Amino acid sequence: MIKVRGKEHPWREGMTIAELLKELGSSYPYAVVRVNEKVVSRPHFENTTIPDQAEIYLVPMISGG
Amino acid sequence: MPELGFKEIRTLQYSRPSVEKGYANQTLAVNLSNSEIAVKPVTAQMKEIFVGGKGFDLWLLWNAVKGTTRWDDPENAICISSGPLGGTPIYPGSGKSIVTTLSPTTGSVMDSNVGGYFGPYLKFSGFDALEVQGKAVGETIVLIDGIEGKVQILECGGMPEDAYETSRMLTEHFGQGKPRNISVVSSGPGAKHTLMGCLNFSWYDAGRKRARYKQAGRGGIGTVFAHKNIKALVVRWDTVTVSTNQPADDEALKEVAKLHSREIVELDPKQNEMAKIGTTHIVTIMNDYDLLPTHNFRYGSHPQAPNIGAEVYRRIFDKGFDGCWIGCTVACSHGIKDFVPFTGPYKGEKVFVDGPEYETIAGCGSNLGIFDPFTVAELNFYCDAYGIDTISFGTGLAFAMECYEAGLINGTHTGGLELSFGNRLSALEVLHQMARGEGFGKVVGQGVRKMKQIFAKEYGADESFMQDIGMEAKGLEFSEYMTKESLAQQGGYGLALKGPQHDEAWLIFLDIVHNYMPTFEQKAEALHWFPMFRTWFGLCGLCKLPWNDIVPEDNEETMEPAKIMKHVEWYARYLSAVTGRKASPDDLIAMSERVYNFQRVFNLKMGFGTREHDAIPYRAVGPVTADEYESRKERYDKQLAEEHKQDIAEKSTEEKIALLRKIREEKYETLMDAVYKRRGWTSEGIPKLETVKRLGIDFPEVVELLRTRGVQE
Repeated sequence: MIKVRGKEHPWREGMTIAELLKELGSSYPYAVVRVNEKVVSRPHFENTTIPDQAEIYLVPMISGG
Repeated sequence: MPELGFKEIRTLQYSRPSVEKGYANQTLAVNLSNSEIAVKPVTAQMKEIFVGGKGFDLWLLWNAVKGTTRWDDPENAICISSGPLGGTPIYPGSGKSIVTTLSPTTGSVMDSNVGGYFGPYLKFSGFDALEVQGKAVGETIVLIDGIEGKVQILECGGMPEDAYETSRMLTEHFGQGKPRNISVVSSGPGAKHTLMGCLNFSWYDAGRKRARYKQAGRGGIGTVFAHKNIKALVVRWDTVTVSTNQPADDEALKEVAKLHSREIVELDPKQNEMAKIGTTHIVTIMNDYDLLPTHNFRYGSHPQAPNIGAEVYRRIFDKGFDGCWIGCTVACSHGIKDFVPFTGPYKGEKVFVDGPEYETIAGCGSNLGIFDPFTVAELNFYCDAYGIDTISFGTGLAFAMECYEAGLINGTHTGGLELSFGNRLSALEVLHQMARGEGFGKVVGQGVRKMKQIFAKEYGADESFMQDIGMEAKGLEFSEYMTKESLAQQGGYGLALKGPQHDEAWLIFLDIVHNYMPTFEQKAEALHWFPMFRTWFGLCGLCKLPWNDIVPEDNEETMEPAKIMKHVEWYARYLSAVTGRKASPDDLIAMSERVYNFQRVFNLKMGFGTREHDAIPYRAVGPVTADEYESRKERYDKQLAEEHKQDIAEKSTEEKIALLRKIREEKYETLMDAVYKRRGWTSEGIPKLETVKRLGIDFPEVVELLRTRGVQE
């Protein structure tokens, strides 16, 4: 089990960030997702796997700078 | 208390007015040439049109200088102001000061915003703004003592050279056992010997029991400060509470402040963790999107970038509260305790480094090909101690390094320094030379625009190549974002009033990651709204980070997520609660538009402010060299073939570079046309008469100026 924005979500071995976002069904184009303390950008969503028990934060980085 | 030898030159005793609805309703003018100290009233018209902060600064500066005034003329003024909301201790990010002057590198108006306690303490001491003109004979301190109601001009001798030691001693001396009552503005030896001097604004870190620093970095304001022979500005004020700023509606203020403050406490740990790692998280994100400048903006990523990213600095930063203003819940001003430099006057000693932030990491790290977090920290430390802007230092030295590697300059010009990218010892030596006013460091300290002239005239270097790779516009060095793939951000830099600093518009993500603005008109709209709203923070004494670096969780479901309208509405309520001036989000934009256009006209007064001055080097637009093109060949080939329908099958790399350049430069020109139109400017980039009339800034001098530049009804 992992937590996405504080809510529990089922986890499976080898689950990537890209797969998680697809499961969540959000149409918002997240550019950055945090896995625990680690910041992951969209170019790495496909190849970044999520560990069990992870806390996931969908970071709405928009205007920055 | 340390015994410091001050000679009193002039003292003004004054009766401190109560602050009313965010305003002290008077400003302070100090002339160091004749030692005059004067108090000037703030009129209702000043508040209505210029609001405060940068608006007040610009109005004071406009009246202080002529179109012929140069940065080193005594009449040039350094103006400092917070704003009506500045000094509110319960609303996050409410302690900013804005500094303006005529810049030594651009020749025109410069503005720089900075944290620390000075601006709010100045206001609570009775002055909405300070303007300092003239030039002192000897090193001078100006003391504004709001507790005792006196302003003093003091001559000082034997003070330490660097900013850290100066501020530490003055904080201790004037604090009289209460160091938190003191804020010091100081520069350093590097500001004297270069044109990229910065100012250090202090705040007292009660937890660590030491003066800490934020920098007004851009455009050489510290150089003007040093040239005026100002050693320091010191302000002394007492305890700050919500009522110190005398808000019009105490309860309304508390209500909206609680909303914003609590949201940050709740969401920052789930988003960017700025209270723990500041802006360092941006490093690897920029790197992943090919937007982190490396090797003088040639490339946007490097495999070693994570070495200078958040996960490293998270472990290096000293833990504790790091708010540069009282009660700020963003609290992003982190630092490194017990850092031991391996070069320079502090070699082997334990020091505290205030930083680094993203811009310094990219400027003094990746852009120099340096991926060692400790070298970045050491460059950060010495830049601050010497009073040198880390951004101009980084971008300036990156240019010199590329010139060295390209063979435009060599060891005979650098005094034997081997200036290849990544050479951290040479980078540090250049910085130390800047502080001593010696050697090649003194040349780099002149900034990119003057280096181009020196290298061409004295060393015979290729002018057109340097024009392409020298990352300056209007005479100011670029801050640290790659813009090649973002036309909107090219405009964000090129069309910025003071030069290429990202505080007006940071549109990279919106443009190329989210693709929110595919058309020229949409880009032009963004280059209207965002600079206007961001300007508003500088009018009021606010930091923009709480607006869009911590975002409501439901923001993505709103009509215009980029604007974070929930926060914009909170800011309108905040302004109304403090000043009693009823305001909607649209009113905030209108306030900024007046000041923004006035600053554009001010540029015109100083001989700039037209289309030709909005040009940017081609390195900011596209690949200059074959190496750059080849490194992203797939991207550029695809754009030429698919987007621009070019037949590139038989074309060489050089031919494709030329083709891409023609297309991209034309796009930038088209963007300028669209933005000027949206802003109500002529095709030459000058505000139309109808625009200045609509905004209520049609002062006789403004109208006359526009008419002399051919602007008709």
